[in-house]
Amino acid sequence: MTVGMINANPVVHERPERAAHPAHAALDALDVFDTVRDIKDPEHPYSLEQLSVLSQESVSVDEKLGHIQITFTPTVQHCSMATVIGLCLRLKLMQNFPPHFKIDIKVAPGSLANEESVNKQLNDKERVAAALENPNLRQLVDDCLCSDHSSSY
Amino acid sequence: MARVPAGDWVPHVEAFVDVSRSPAQHSAGVDALVALVNKDKLTLFDLVSKMDMYLTTTDHIVRARGIMLLGEIMSRISSKWLDVNAITTFSDFFISRLSDWQALRGALVGCLALLHRKLSVGTIMVANVKRLLEAFIHDVQVQSLAAADRKLCFEIFSCILDHYPEAVKTMDDELLYWICQSIDEEKDPECLKLSFHVVEVVMKLFPDPSGLADQFASDFFEILSKYFPVYFTHGAGDNLGVTRDELSRALMHAFCASPYFEPFAIPLLLDKLSSSLPLAKLDSLRYLDNCIQCYGADRMVAHASAIWFKLKEVLFSLSSDQLLSSGSPKDAENNKNEIISEAKHCLKTAVTYIHSSDRDIFINLILLDDDIVNNIHSVTTEENSICSSLQNQKQLQALGSVISILAESSTYLCTRVLQAHFKRLVDILGNSAGFDSQHLNIGNGSSPAAINYGALYLSVQMLSSCREVAVASREGFPAEESWWLILEEKLDQFIQLSGKLLTIDSQTIQSAVRKECVSYAVKGLLILATMPEQCSLVLANAYEDILLMLTSVITSKYEDAHLWRLSLKALTNIGSSAVEFGASKRETVYNRIVVDKIIRLTESCDASMPLNLRLEASFEVGTASVNYMLRVARSLEEAVITNISQVNGSIECVEYVICLIDCYCSRLLPWLFTSGGLNELALSFALRLWDEIGDLVTLDRIRSQGLLDSLMMGMKLLVGVCTEEQQSLIVQKACGIVSSKLSLPVNTMTHHLLSVEELVPAHSVEDTALVCMLSSVIVGLRPRTPLPEMIMIINLFSVFLLNGHIPAAHALASIFNKYVQNSDFSHENKLDKKLDVILGECFSIVLTSSSLKMSHSAAVTSDSANSDSLPGTGSIGSKFDILCGLAWIGKGLLMRGDEKVKEISLFLLKCLVLDQISANIPPHQEEHNDNLSSDASLATAAAGAFHVMMSDSEVCLNKKFHARIKFLYKQRFFSILMPIFLSKIKETPEMTTKLVMYRAFGHIISNAPVSAVITEAHQILLVMVDILAKLSMDIQDKDLVYSLLLVLSGMLMDEKGKECILENMNIIVSVLAQLVSYPHMMVVRETALQCFVAMSSFPHSKVYRMRPQVLQAAIKALDDKKRVVRQEAVRCRQTWQSSFA
Repeated sequence: MTVGMINANPVVHERPERAAHPAHAALDALDVFDTVRDIKDPEHPYSLEQLSVLSQESVSVDEKLGHIQITFTPTVQHCSMATVIGLCLRLKLMQNFPPHFKIDIKVAPGSLANEESVNKQLNDKERVAAALENPNLRQLVDDCLCSDHSSSY
Repeated sequence: MARVPAGDWVPHVEAFVDVSRSPAQHSAGVDALVALVNKDKLTLFDLVSKMDMYLTTTDHIVRARGIMLLGEIMSRISSKWLDVNAITTFSDFFISRLSDWQALRGALVGCLALLHRKLSVGTIMVANVKRLLEAFIHDVQVQSLAAADRKLCFEIFSCILDHYPEAVKTMDDELLYWICQSIDEEKDPECLKLSFHVVEVVMKLFPDPSGLADQFASDFFEILSKYFPVYFTHGAGDNLGVTRDELSRALMHAFCASPYFEPFAIPLLLDKLSSSLPLAKLDSLRYLDNCIQCYGADRMVAHASAIWFKLKEVLFSLSSDQLLSSGSPKDAENNKNEIISEAKHCLKTAVTYIHSSDRDIFINLILLDDDIVNNIHSVTTEENSICSSLQNQKQLQALGSVISILAESSTYLCTRVLQAHFKRLVDILGNSAGFDSQHLNIGNGSSPAAINYGALYLSVQMLSSCREVAVASREGFPAEESWWLILEEKLDQFIQLSGKLLTIDSQTIQSAVRKECVSYAVKGLLILATMPEQCSLVLANAYEDILLMLTSVITSKYEDAHLWRLSLKALTNIGSSAVEFGASKRETVYNRIVVDKIIRLTESCDASMPLNLRLEASFEVGTASVNYMLRVARSLEEAVITNISQVNGSIECVEYVICLIDCYCSRLLPWLFTSGGLNELALSFALRLWDEIGDLVTLDRIRSQGLLDSLMMGMKLLVGVCTEEQQSLIVQKACGIVSSKLSLPVNTMTHHLLSVEELVPAHSVEDTALVCMLSSVIVGLRPRTPLPEMIMIINLFSVFLLNGHIPAAHALASIFNKYVQNSDFSHENKLDKKLDVILGECFSIVLTSSSLKMSHSAAVTSDSANSDSLPGTGSIGSKFDILCGLAWIGKGLLMRGDEKVKEISLFLLKCLVLDQISANIPPHQEEHNDNLSSDASLATAAAGAFHVMMSDSEVCLNKKFHARIKFLYKQRFFSILMPIFLSKIKETPEMTTKLVMYRAFGHIISNAPVSAVITEAHQILLVMVDILAKLSMDIQDKDLVYSLLLVLSGMLMDEKGKECILENMNIIVSVLAQLVSYPHMMVVRETALQCFVAMSSFPHSKVYRMRPQVLQAAIKALDDKKRVVRQEAVRCRQTWQSSFA
């Protein structure tokens, strides 16, 4: 792990009011966004939503095809935490959605120096599984997922 | 008194004095000695003389223990009487020991114990207290002591100040000097609280000018000021014995103790008000508020301008960014709001307390303040855009509250404020574009209605201040009040402007600004209309105008929901205020203008306005007073009656009447009942209804139009609220009409039951309707209401019951439940016999042509002579109804706790197993197959009958209808039937019969109290789970499945239930897993998942085996159709995954 913070002083946004769910019961982007918005940033005690890493527009869902796509924007160009954030997203989605969903996690184009390699890494089943078996990494990811101050339940 | 020999108690003394013993032994020693002293078995003299050595030895440790022992004993015998000598001796001793610093603790404890003594048990003399004080000042260096000793010192001191002030009053400055010294630099919270108290009392003891307090005020304040604002982060859970609030309050009392603090305190508080710490701001404002009240106007006048400037800063320019806060933005916002409301409070105090010495002081300060003048100017010139920015709106609110605080404080101030601004504001309002009449008419003009919101807001604020002032000076309202003259001058203009605001076409401008404007216009009108009646001489016209305006909104502008509701609320408030102030003239006007118009709304069935709004308006206006409500009720009654009797059979009209009856019964009746205005109302309505029903043509129409159900329910409720005498009138009338109109030979019924086949052909539709209405009357009766011609009535209902009419069963159930009074039935047995006959008839009809009847011809013994020869009358459908009716009668008996209920429940049980019996007997008739199917459905109906018996009903037999309800009747029924069901279920091999049994038992379990079910959990849990599993196959049982699942989840929450569930974990988990994908009901799936979540807290060793199964079920549910279930599935999965990781 790196010594010192990669982005020591990020811009923190206010949490917006939670939108009420639409009346229909089908899975939509808001559902997915609700599950991931409160994941904690690995570096800071703020949620990914507060740091504008994620927004509702960055999530797209196709329920018929069983496809979820999330695009996230790391706070700085050289953010080495991008992979950890991606891993958190993947684990959380795997836990909260049925296994038949295909989940694509991407870094927003142009927001990261090594965008391509990170995208590749995040969507490689083997490498994700291997990463989650690494106890240190797993601890870090679990911390991020655990401490999400989710208020929805 | 027998003394205890010294040898017995001296060891206790030794035990206490010996430091090497344990604390437990020490306290045991004291306990023993105290017990001896309290029982007079040991005199204090003996004790002291034996302890001589311990008290005087040169060994500090032993001496300290000795004195401590004496002090402890002293404090523990506080309720024992001691003579003057003893007390003087002890006080001499302890006072002398104060100089012994190595053994001080005991002396302090002893002194405190002496000071705490009550007058009735002998107290220390004042002279001794004075000596004690002197010794204290001379010998004790409080600051150098340990915290516990310091606390004792402060306790002694505050005790002296509170109880022996005369000893202190004669002291000189040495005392105050010593106090200063002692409390300086104190850090311990408990000591601090006491020391604040000491300062407070001391300062109050020396009130004379140029006295000690004046002299020492600066010293004391210098010490106190260090603690302000109290910063103390420990919560109540930290066991410090003090909370921040207590400390802060103690310090505040100290601050307020003496006006001599004023030159120091006010500058400090004003200074701290600029702090960015929210706590400091809040505390400063609170202290300031109290100090203003305590220091007096003369002293505060000098600070008035400083206070105003500081408060202005807080009120107008405080933003949550300026506050240091660790919490979320929401917390900061809350802090800010709290600070602002405290600042308003403080300003109000300042204005009320300080202006007594110079009444213009705040006029000059606030009203002529440049900022305020500019602010008013800018707020009232900016048009329309005023609401656009949040900042502006906040400024406006601050301005409004400052002005109304100022104006509310006195008549004089109110006048000055109005003089300065009111006229101009109304003029601005009038000139603003919104009231250009051309624009209004055209409607599509370029800038429709740019109302000056700021001017409107401020003028309404001023009006509300006027009302406050008027209410405060209610008696003797001089007409030459100058604020009133100003108001009067502009009154008509204001009312007109508001009225125009209300009538602007709502379609053209539908924005937030308009909403705000409209609500303030309505508020302004409301304020004017609720001004105390002293003003009414001048206001009479205005009052009428306002009422007309608001009423016309109600009648014509119902599309604009916001305006409509506001106006309705305002009208209700105006109405109730007229009643509250006892303004009879206004009440008349209100009646004439508002109530008349509103009532007319409900009088016809076709109007453009939606019916629910019309009814709501009527009800809301009625709630203003009982008299209005009575008028509304009468008009509804009239409308119902006319519409029933008129022959116009349109569907809308029927729905209209249904709505009217519903509104009357569900809203008006309960309201009138609770406010005690009911009287004859329900009676007359019920009688009039009967008059109408008496006409058979009307009755037929009612029935064919589907009005009957609604009328029946209405009749029940009407009868239910009547008194016994009123009820008997209704019953008499009803019986009279029924016996004259019914086409059946009613009179022959007085002696014996008619046989069923005799009646069937004559059974007309009108008769049925008539009997239904009669049954509604019977259902609502009170138990003590006399019922004439009871035999006839019972016979009549029996006949209709045997024809399968449920309302007849309701009436019979009510009669048997309440044991309605009748002179014919003075002997209870007679009614019981009647019941036997009816039950016998029912049983035999239900069983005719069923296989049970054939195989067990003697199953039913009946008194009725022709029961055996009954042909196969009664279709299958009516048999079900009879079963259901039986259940109702059973319910009535069950609720009263009658033994006869057993007969019915046994019969129902028999019906449950009918098809099993019929399957067992060999087929010897052709119709056997028909019988089989009919028996099966009969069994299903019997299962449903148990639901009727156990569940609560709105229709009949409830508290509203005065049913006799025995305590815990459901629990009793459950425990009687449970063993029977368990054994029958065990015996039954066939699945179909078992299913019916399950259904019946399920109804009983789900309606029984959960605690009763839990006590039997070990017996029924497995059956219950099996019921859940089997019933989940059929969509018809979904409600039953849900209620059973709720019982199961109730068990999960209970300790005993948990044990049982743990024993049968495997099967329960698999059934729940099955229910997680229950297709027919969403809540079942959700509850099943919640049960899983609850189970995850069970002991790990017991449930870890279930994990894969639970997780599998939860994962499946992640894909559920409903969002709630998906979320619950995620939670379930998380808890099971994390708690077993």
